Amino acid sequence: MVIFEKKIGLLIACIFLSVIVFAQTKKVTGKVSGPDGTPLIGVTVLVKGLGIGTTTLQDGSFTITVPEGSKTLVISYTGMENLEVPPTDKMNLRMRSKNAQLADIVVVGYGTQKRRDLTGSIVTLSAKTYKDQPVLAASSALQGRVAGVTVTNSSGAPGGAVKIRIRGANSVNANNDPLYVVDGIALGSIGLADLNVNDIESMEVLKDASATAVYGSRGANGVVLITSRSGATGLPRIEYNGFVSFNKPMKKYDLMDAVTYAKTANLTAGAAVFADPQSFAGKGTDWQSMLFTNSVIQSHQLSIAGGKEGMRYYVSGFYVNQEGLLINTNQKRLGIRSNLDVKLNNQMDFGVNFYVARINSHNNDDMGSKGNPVMGALTWAPTEPVYKSPGQYNRFGISPIWLNPYMSIRERNNDSIATVGVLNGKFKYAITDWLTLIINAGVDMNIAGKAYLNNDWISAGNMGSGQSSSENFTFQNSNVLTFHKTFNKHDLSATALVEESSNHFKNFNASGSGLTSIANGYHNLGLNTAQSISSGYSNWSLISFMGRIAYSFNDKYLFTATMRRDGSSKFQGNNKWSNFPSFSVGWKLSNEKFIEDLKVFSNLKLRAGWGVTGNQAIGPYSTLGLLDGVIYSYGTVNVSQGYTLGNPATPDVKWETSKQTNIGLDIGLLNGRLNISADYYNKNTSDLLLFTRIANYDGGGNYLKNVGKVNNKGWEFMIEGTPYKDRNLSWSTAFNASFNQNKVINLGRDSMLERPYSIGDGLFTNSIQVVKVGQPLGTFYLIPWEGVYQTDKGIYKAGDARYTDVDGNGSIGFEDRVISGSAMPKFTWGFNNNVTYRNFELNIFIQGAHGNKIFNTTYAATAVPTSDVKFINLADAANYWTPGNNGSTWANPGSKNKSWVESTQFIQDGGYVRLKNVSVAYTIGKDILKAATAKIYVSAQNIVTITRYKGFDPEASTVGGDVDAGIDLGAYPSPKTVTVGLQLKF
Amino acid sequence: MKSVIKYTIGILLLILLGTACNKYLDETPKGSITTTSFYQTGNDLQMAEAALAIKFNGAFNDISGVYYAADDITTKRNGNKIEMSDFDIFNANSSNSRMTNWWNYFYAAIKSANALIANYNKATLATDAQRNNAGGYAYFMRAVSYFYLTRTWGEVPMPMDVALMENRPNAKVADIYNLIVADLQKAETMLPNQWDGPARHDNVDIFPTKGTAKALLANVYLTMAGWPLKQTDKYALAAAKAKEVIDSKATWGYNLLTKFADIWKIGNRFNSEAVFACYYNNQIPSVPVENGSQLAPNPFSPDYEEGGWDDAFGEIAFYNKFPAGPRKDATYQKDYYVKNDPANVVTWQNTLQKHPYFLKYRDDYSYDWATHKANNWWSSATSFLIRYAEVLLTYAEAQAMSSGPDASAYAAINQVRQRAGLNPLTPGLSVANFRDSVVAERGWEFAAECGIRWFDLVRTETVQKVNSYRDATEPPLANQPSDANHTYYRAPVPIVK
Repeated sequence: MVIFEKKIGLLIACIFLSVIVFAQTKKVTGKVSGPDGTPLIGVTVLVKGLGIGTTTLQDGSFTITVPEGSKTLVISYTGMENLEVPPTDKMNLRMRSKNAQLADIVVVGYGTQKRRDLTGSIVTLSAKTYKDQPVLAASSALQGRVAGVTVTNSSGAPGGAVKIRIRGANSVNANNDPLYVVDGIALGSIGLADLNVNDIESMEVLKDASATAVYGSRGANGVVLITSRSGATGLPRIEYNGFVSFNKPMKKYDLMDAVTYAKTANLTAGAAVFADPQSFAGKGTDWQSMLFTNSVIQSHQLSIAGGKEGMRYYVSGFYVNQEGLLINTNQKRLGIRSNLDVKLNNQMDFGVNFYVARINSHNNDDMGSKGNPVMGALTWAPTEPVYKSPGQYNRFGISPIWLNPYMSIRERNNDSIATVGVLNGKFKYAITDWLTLIINAGVDMNIAGKAYLNNDWISAGNMGSGQSSSENFTFQNSNVLTFHKTFNKHDLSATALVEESSNHFKNFNASGSGLTSIANGYHNLGLNTAQSISSGYSNWSLISFMGRIAYSFNDKYLFTATMRRDGSSKFQGNNKWSNFPSFSVGWKLSNEKFIEDLKVFSNLKLRAGWGVTGNQAIGPYSTLGLLDGVIYSYGTVNVSQGYTLGNPATPDVKWETSKQTNIGLDIGLLNGRLNISADYYNKNTSDLLLFTRIANYDGGGNYLKNVGKVNNKGWEFMIEGTPYKDRNLSWSTAFNASFNQNKVINLGRDSMLERPYSIGDGLFTNSIQVVKVGQPLGTFYLIPWEGVYQTDKGIYKAGDARYTDVDGNGSIGFEDRVISGSAMPKFTWGFNNNVTYRNFELNIFIQGAHGNKIFNTTYAATAVPTSDVKFINLADAANYWTPGNNGSTWANPGSKNKSWVESTQFIQDGGYVRLKNVSVAYTIGKDILKAATAKIYVSAQNIVTITRYKGFDPEASTVGGDVDAGIDLGAYPSPKTVTVGLQLKF
Repeated sequence: MKSVIKYTIGILLLILLGTACNKYLDETPKGSITTTSFYQTGNDLQMAEAALAIKFNGAFNDISGVYYAADDITTKRNGNKIEMSDFDIFNANSSNSRMTNWWNYFYAAIKSANALIANYNKATLATDAQRNNAGGYAYFMRAVSYFYLTRTWGEVPMPMDVALMENRPNAKVADIYNLIVADLQKAETMLPNQWDGPARHDNVDIFPTKGTAKALLANVYLTMAGWPLKQTDKYALAAAKAKEVIDSKATWGYNLLTKFADIWKIGNRFNSEAVFACYYNNQIPSVPVENGSQLAPNPFSPDYEEGGWDDAFGEIAFYNKFPAGPRKDATYQKDYYVKNDPANVVTWQNTLQKHPYFLKYRDDYSYDWATHKANNWWSSATSFLIRYAEVLLTYAEAQAMSSGPDASAYAAINQVRQRAGLNPLTPGLSVANFRDSVVAERGWEFAAECGIRWFDLVRTETVQKVNSYRDATEPPLANQPSDANHTYYRAPVPIVK
């Protein structure tokens, strides 16, 4: 925060810069100390309005030359409240600790605002909140710490997928990810995961439409503004942060031993597939132990920050080496950042922020398909050996049809190397003391290469190799003109924006087969006897204009209005352009006499806002009706390109629009020791960009339509406080909770749309999720399961799985499916505690999500014979119904009637409470180490999870979207972790 | 100075506003193909044909549950085979997932065909021949797709252009056949006698030719003469069309292979007996699904003995009736290697399932005859849809039904029997007996070949009849089909139409 204040200090200095007649100057000296009287080093002392400044020395003293007529000095320092004092000689100044966050400056879209003047719903997450935890990604920092933000670690793979939603999901087919803006550059080519979390100073989460409407067509899913760290004037500060984490699987499935497996398989096959099941006694392969391993993560970060008169810098480098829980998977990341701010003269500043990183992933992709190693580890017959003979894998087993999972992952050679970066240059020009122009130009990029080598194990008899490369650039230029003036009790600011963004994407792939030797790895594709190439291109662009007026009267009544107009290339004709207005009001009750007199509230503010945002997050060319490219070989090894009619053109398609109302209350009590914030919101998304299924008799596929409406409404609470504090001991705590209710209001002419199922063919054979009016997105649609028949009935025998014949047609099928819960959590919360005792700090962080269901396909695959997995493996399922065991609800595996995977038998409660972090840190002061302060910490993450979910990890999910969410199909689980870390500050 | 700066900013803003014209927002999909730029050159037409081919191929790269209802093929009623078995025992419902590949791929092919029919004439940069051939190809593919659809489901939706329609009504069976005949008559004139380019290699046309159109038309007429249309006047038309093919077989290079077993050798994936077939290859880089065949060693091999999937094996009654000879030896597997051990050989009676397994589709690059083990579940096997043998048998049946079993009819069936190692058919049979002999012959000849047997039973109204011979050891029928009421003659329409 403080760095912002310094920036703001400079900004204020510029804004108030007026035509100054230089007359005489005088020298002022003084000394600055902290609340406890110790001298403060490196405190910024500025002449208000002039930008003339200095910093305090070792003993807290400073000397500054002040022009005659300057009436105010601004004194600022990290964690302290700014002081504004008239310059007198031999000043003795004592700074006060900052009162919670009240005094903060908050980054809002295209500008900043004082927190106490906010009218929108904006939450700041400072890096301090998670400082002693081994955080590898910005998403982990957000998880459980911001009300209204739901973070789900869908994949535990190194660098794996994370789903972030702000106030639920709005859209069925368009993207529901928030917009990430790094130092003013909206990310278009890379994601949050590509950034170095250690470079982040703070994240501001813009939740309601009055805050996000300035991002117009990109604001519907909320916006996360990320500010990277910058230097502070003073001596260079060198900081090292490093940790080593040790990972273990959180749990294992309880599977059959080989004897039970063989017996059950004989029953399923109706014949002695295994002639002598007892011969496996004491033998068998534990595939889970073969595939999951204890792994290690290392992270190192070194930074240097500082500045001199007119120049500040922050330079950092990082290296992370992350091994996966699955063998032979890992990711290495390394990168640098250099942030530079230069003051050219009293009116002009410029800054250059530069971040580039390299991410090397090994076997980390494509874990989604059903035969993935996680599924393999759980379904492969324990009766099968890993090797047939030394060095010779047992390639195919008796069940499932997928290849030996150990071989598949051990022999896999799939590398991806991405160079990602965000670069921007910013120029600020204070035209007058009330008018400032900021020009920000930048790019984010992802230049990626992938390569694979299929050896004879991966692709028997037909080895091959391939490479692909892609480049993805998003350019952005924003020009912001800011006006700010106060007259008596009126404070007026106005902002005008012109912005252009464009994205360019190119890729090509080359792959081959018939490789005779793997000696050259994937580096010589020409050695393949059969080859194929393909390439792609896409481009989108966006032009935006935005105006904002913020007005406050008497520091009591706040009013903000914005209007953005966007033009997008993704739509056609008149649908390219649209307007996104918003307005909001705030009432600072605590500045009213009648509240002040109560002497209860240090802060009391009522906020209300309304706004319109859009969603254009569909692929470029989605409305053009392009031809489908396919590959055909005429039966030979040479492939030919083919094209056929794809989905129809839809030129009438336009933006998806969200209208959101927000009412909020901020309460500060006990002189700021207790802060409470509550928000209610109601968000209606209409003209849903919906891919509507084309009947299979018309060739299948889908086309884009604007139909329907989705509503999200909910409550958010945040309580922060310091229940106890004295010289040695302090306890601070923060609790946040969000309740979100998601509901489909209408779908045009339809009342229900079945989702195409994109995964799991061979395990399930029809869609298990629907979008239905009156239900939330991600609703499951399944055949109701009733356990097993206790007695023979019709064609069903006792011990057969029993289902409800909902439509009463006498036969069980997909007509019998019913609504069976949703993948969308209704309630999420986080509870963070910091206890400091002398040099010790303890952090306990608990987080939870409730009210969501998961369809556990992984579990089902081990429990029901399917086309892919013919014999079952789940230990519980071995305890199947027999006349003597009629309490069991597991069907007899030898049943002659079908057991349905697509049934409520495999829907499970996805709610959980997780002890996300426990850490203890100890600081060794400068008094001991002389040159540096050191902090040592030990942290444990994910060590306790309370859940009824039967899979590995209730967070893990295979499909990343929202309407097809909550399907666990061999999802990669997160580990439990113990970390030892060290921070050094010089 | 200050005013200069202000003007500069003003101009700067104006420039930025100026660029805001819609040109910046135009979409140019350079990496993709749009309908406006396609269907112009001969090469465009070739790409459209290739795409249509692979849509159709999708229907035959895997087993369909539909033809398990016939008496040649069955599977065990356990675990993941239950849905295929449901057809076998007449218990399939609309949720059955083993028939959707046919429904979806035939209609996907029809959509591509409709698009090509609407556009082939616009290819002004192509030659007349290229345009004609493309049109003929599209008509043929639409016809053959509808032929499978209506034989399987009866009345079905019949889109004839690319416009979408929700809740499209079903067309009458007669109307569907009228379209099929009309399409094939166009295809017959527009298709070439021989393709050039990638659609022909090893002296075999991958795509249908004039000859293929005639052969299919003969089959269509034969079917129209049977149930449900029973237009018996079509027998003569069927015979005439089949005769055209037989008389001019050299034009298209059709011939029976000398040995029945050779048809199934992977080295003969392209052979002169193929009048119409779907071709696959599992050796191409990063195999897209439709380019590999799942009529492959694994689905047709015994599970316990050889590590196959038990997806399909032969019904015992049918096997027992199947006349011995080289054809039977090439149709059914004789020796089963327990645990892939060539030293531990059993006969089918001693396999776990106690059923004979089919040997067709077994030979593949991925199959090891020494151990009977396959290392890939995709194969390069060809799915033969019309073999020249069928043209001969169609002629024999249609000729007998229209003009009586004359010498030419005998000659045709005896060509097939001779290769099968059988004696010539008893001379002087009645029309009915001759016809029954031909239908039986078709059963032996085309056992487990993509539904030919099932459609024969349906058109000759003998589904119930053949099931009366069903071996007692097979899973019992859940429902009894009726040849009088034609119950269970049609597959249930998929729940997702």
